[in-house]
Amino acid sequence: MSNEIWVLAEHQDGKVKGITFELLSGGVEFSKKTGQKVAALLLGYGLEEATKGLLPFADKIYLLEHPLLSPYTSDAYESALLPLLKDHQPSIFLGGATSIGKDLFPRLAMRLETGYTPDCTELSVDEEGRLTAKRPLFGGKVFAEMVFSGARPQMATVRNHTFLIHENLGKSAEVLSLPIQLDPSSIKKKVIKVEKSPGERVDITEADIVVAAGRGIKGPENFKIIEELANVLNASVGTTRAVVDEGWRDLKDQIGKSGKNISARLYMAFGISGAIHHVLGIGTCKTIVAVDTDPNALIFNYADYGIVGDLFQIVPALTEELKKILASEG
Amino acid sequence: MDKVDVIIVGGGLAGLSCAYELSDSGMTVLVLERGDFSGSKNVTGGRLYLRPILNYLPEIWKGAPFERHVTKERITFMGRGSSTTFELYSDRFNEEPYPSYTLLRAKFDRWFSDLVSEKGVFVIPQKRVDDLIREGGKIIGIRSGEEEIGADCVVAADGILSFVAEKAGLRPPFQPKHFAVGFKEVIQLDSKTIEDRFGLEEGEGAAQLFIGSITKGRMGGGFLYTNRESLSLGLVIGIESLNTMEPREEIYKWLDEFKERPEIKNLVRGGETIEYSAHLLTEGGIHHRPKVFTDGMLVVGDAAGLGLNMLVTVRGMEYAIVSGVLAGRTIKRAKERNDFSASSLSEYERLLNESFILQEMKNFQYVPSLLSNQRLFSKYPQLICDVFERVMWVDEEPKGRIYQTKIGELKRHLFNWETFKDWLQFRKI
Amino acid sequence: MEIFVLVKQVPDPEATVKIKTDTELEIENKYFTNFFDEIAIEEALRLKEKFGGKVTVLTADPKRVDALRRGISMGADEAIQIADPALEGSDPFAIARVLAAYLKDKPFDLILAGRQAMDDDSGIVGIALAEALNLPHVHSIIGLEVDISRKEAKVIREVENGKEHLICPLPALFTCQKGLNTPRIPLVMNVMKAMKAQIKKLDLVSLGIEASKVGSPAIQAKVIRYLPPPKRPPVKMIKEEFPDNVRTLVRLLREDAKVI
Ligand SMILES: Cc1cc2nc3c(=O)[nH]c(=O)nc-3n(C[C@H](O)[C@H](O)[C@H](O)COP(=O)(O)OP(=O)(O)OC[C@H]3O[C@@H](n4cnc5c(N)ncnc54)[C@H](O)[C@@H]3O)c2cc1C
Ligand SMILES: Cc1cc2nc3c(=O)[nH]c(=O)nc-3n(C[C@H](O)[C@H](O)[C@H](O)COP(=O)(O)OP(=O)(O)OC[C@H]3O[C@@H](n4cnc5c(N)ncnc54)[C@H](O)[C@@H]3O)c2cc1C
Ligand SMILES: Nc1ncnc2c1ncn2[C@@H]1O[C@H](COP(=O)(O)O)[C@@H](O)[C@H]1O
Repeated sequence: MSNEIWVLAEHQDGKVKGITFELLSGGVEFSKKTGQKVAALLLGYGLEEATKGLLPFADKIYLLEHPLLSPYTSDAYESALLPLLKDHQPSIFLGGATSIGKDLFPRLAMRLETGYTPDCTELSVDEEGRLTAKRPLFGGKVFAEMVFSGARPQMATVRNHTFLIHENLGKSAEVLSLPIQLDPSSIKKKVIKVEKSPGERVDITEADIVVAAGRGIKGPENFKIIEELANVLNASVGTTRAVVDEGWRDLKDQIGKSGKNISARLYMAFGISGAIHHVLGIGTCKTIVAVDTDPNALIFNYADYGIVGDLFQIVPALTEELKKILASEG
Repeated sequence: MDKVDVIIVGGGLAGLSCAYELSDSGMTVLVLERGDFSGSKNVTGGRLYLRPILNYLPEIWKGAPFERHVTKERITFMGRGSSTTFELYSDRFNEEPYPSYTLLRAKFDRWFSDLVSEKGVFVIPQKRVDDLIREGGKIIGIRSGEEEIGADCVVAADGILSFVAEKAGLRPPFQPKHFAVGFKEVIQLDSKTIEDRFGLEEGEGAAQLFIGSITKGRMGGGFLYTNRESLSLGLVIGIESLNTMEPREEIYKWLDEFKERPEIKNLVRGGETIEYSAHLLTEGGIHHRPKVFTDGMLVVGDAAGLGLNMLVTVRGMEYAIVSGVLAGRTIKRAKERNDFSASSLSEYERLLNESFILQEMKNFQYVPSLLSNQRLFSKYPQLICDVFERVMWVDEEPKGRIYQTKIGELKRHLFNWETFKDWLQFRKI
Repeated sequence: MEIFVLVKQVPDPEATVKIKTDTELEIENKYFTNFFDEIAIEEALRLKEKFGGKVTVLTADPKRVDALRRGISMGADEAIQIADPALEGSDPFAIARVLAAYLKDKPFDLILAGRQAMDDDSGIVGIALAEALNLPHVHSIIGLEVDISRKEAKVIREVENGKEHLICPLPALFTCQKGLNTPRIPLVMNVMKAMKAQIKKLDLVSLGIEASKVGSPAIQAKVIRYLPPPKRPPVKMIKEEFPDNVRTLVRLLREDAKVI
């Protein structure tokens, strides 16, 4: 059994994703307590740039390079990782609660007969390296603290913004390039294309700041004032199911029970009534602002700051105010 | 067309009671409810008087998810910046069967609908009835979306604006003066806090009614009921009295102002509003009831205009339940005769007349006209508060003799032609 | 096509969930068929309408069969309940093992599940079942096109900031996400029929599963404590007139919350 903390690295166009740096920062924090080594698992093809990016964040980088590992499929990743996991039996194996982590980890955990806690919002370890994971249930109405039985690794996928990125971990990873053999016939799925959503914004689950409007926005064309605000804040734009059902915005922007859970640092809701289905998706946001014309709107129960007012008045003024301030600061 | 024996439109208390009564009849009974589940769209203030209904539906209440049994009755007269509260406690309120309970419809109706389903009735939510199907003058079924379903008898239990009864030509179109509008919030608090703030033992409840300045002289009042772990706080206001208002204010704000009054503020402090709703109530009284039967159809509950606004208390749930039971009984008898014509179903009207429902509505038939008297909601509550305040007030000046100063003033307010007329009205109740 | 759909009856999003003791919850009795499972049922029915075949809804739940009835009322042909008291307290992996035991020797072209169950929100059962049956899976699909002659499916799945288009051979398991379709609301008469429909019941013995493989003994990650959601301080309402309120908001966000 190796006594290591493993993190599955995610990358796109050569760049390592924020969630991976967060997890490695968290892992290094744990290792101070447990004395374990922290390793990044980097899978794909053409990984020089990504490897470089990871060097200061881990003790080790396990590099698994193969054409069949790019783009990601659970089949290929599983074939590559299973023997390694069986071999090393790391103490902890973390991934992002992302379209990759949530796709892959259940298969690995099932095969390894080990514990897996999905979608965690808090993690801690004790001196012996035993993990305690906190995760929301019932869409966030309660949280559960969970611990693992003896089987290793202890596997968890973790939400964005659970850990802060530490830029100066003082690490310089040793890169271990591992030989791998993949049987093409074991890879059944084929990715034919990835269709990028138009626009530059990051996904609402990854964004630091999310600004959102609900049915109070009255029509799809009015989202432009929200977009303008988002531009100033470098934010992503979210919305409610009511708006998606109207066909005003794409489903990928829907926040809530049947959409996405977000954990932004700042969430601003304009013209959103605050139905339980919606607010369950914003429970782990740090600061919440609500603007609604109805003083009884339930959204105010969940907000840190509230304004009873017309979004068509408030949003443009807010954009201007922020522009002014940001300009004066350069 | 598929056919069942009975279709009940609306899975509120009236519809479900009718279904319960029919559940042992061997008939195929279908309840169609447009909400996601029974209770999801239903609004009530919050108090059910149990005794009147025990004669009709005795056995089921043991397992009912009531909130608290009411042991404390309060009436508060609100003046501008002052208020006077009367409180009644009686040992009898604590004797079983308890006379009245608070309840929350979302929980209560859902329980009732599960109970009725277990007894073999088909309660189907997410189904709005869009139209009636007729043959000649007779109603022979309903349409819901693309589906047409036939029935020997259709029961309109679809609430206050009963679209079904209107379609059947049993009620005239909406007239504002026969309705009031209610706004209500449910505010979450833990049970210990509620019991401490209202001075209650575990499980006991309080009912508090408010009359006076909170409705700004308009017909209506406020209510506050204690639930197990929440408070139901609301306002009821006559629609007609709002129409005369210039300029038109946003009345939902009145509930906020009400909440800000010190009388309420400290009771709801720290609570979180978990539900907000608005709904109509009937104010028409016995003279404005729609017709309640026709060929192939009966009308029950709010849809039948069965409700009473007695100054500050609203009655409707008992009427809904009992009228549902009586309709069920009528249908069973009609089935024996295999005759669902108007004359066969007219038995329902007779049963209603014999029941406490129409007796009470008769006894209180003058209430609607009395309620249109604005003095009831402004002058008198103010007067009570003023007098009481003067009695209790001690100032730098020596306190004057109470009778001379205060009662003398009272006389001036009370012994005049207007008050005399009001008093004559009052005596009719 | 032979299609199995995994379904679960879960607490309605509006049901209150209270913490009774550290490791025990009290859940209000308001249940509905898992939102994503209804999408899975709908998709199966559409495939059946197109290609013919049979749709079977399947649940591993000792108590609740309403999700099966929902499936039948929507148009599923058969309903199977794996009901065994030993299932109580099982984690998603155990449920997957049980479902695998039932499905391992059944003929099928496709298994559909929900993206996640709205109670444990874990998104494990479907994927773990695919692993147990050695099937390929695609998680969180929002588009599906089956090519019956080539025995494969074109699938679209949701990923961060985009859509991934894949080709996957059948048989396979897909977990369904909102956006794939809008589930039909069953006809009244079909709901009535479903309430009376026969449901096939199986226990663990008939599946050859030992009780120790399910329930709490089999759990690898267990709950030690339930906690309420982190409490937010009461909302600060900014009551000034426009445009002062906007300035105040910006100031509070910068100086108080320090988020911009
Ligand atoms: C099973 C299930 C799952 C669901 N999942 C989700 C989910 O994942 N996400 C989700 O969001 N919903 C979900 N819903 C739907 C949810 O119940 C609500 O219907 C929805 O969130 C309401 O969206 P809204 O706030 O945009 O619209 P509304 O409730 O219509 O609210 C609009 C608000 O805008 C305000 N307003 C109007 N004009 C203005 C103005 N000029 N300025 C400022 N404010 C204004 C109004 O006062 C109101 O508060 C789900 C429902 C179900 C049954
Ligand atoms: C603010 C307020 C306070 C009140 N306080 C009290 C009180 O303290 N005590 C008391 O006894 N009474 C009170 N009442 C009155 C009482 O709530 C009503 O009299 C009672 O709810 C009537 O029951 P019902 O079953 O007739 O109608 P409802 O409860 O209104 O049920 C009608 C049902 O029909 C459904 N429906 C409607 N149309 C259709 C359709 N086309 N297809 C299918 N389904 C349909 C609705 O969704 C609803 O579930 C109060 C009312 C209000 C508004
Ligand atoms: N007990 C069960 N029986 C049948 N299917 C289930 C069960 N639990 C979960 N599922 C299926 O697996 C999906 C994901 O569930 P979960 O892993 O619990 O989030 C659900 O949407 C269902 O399709």
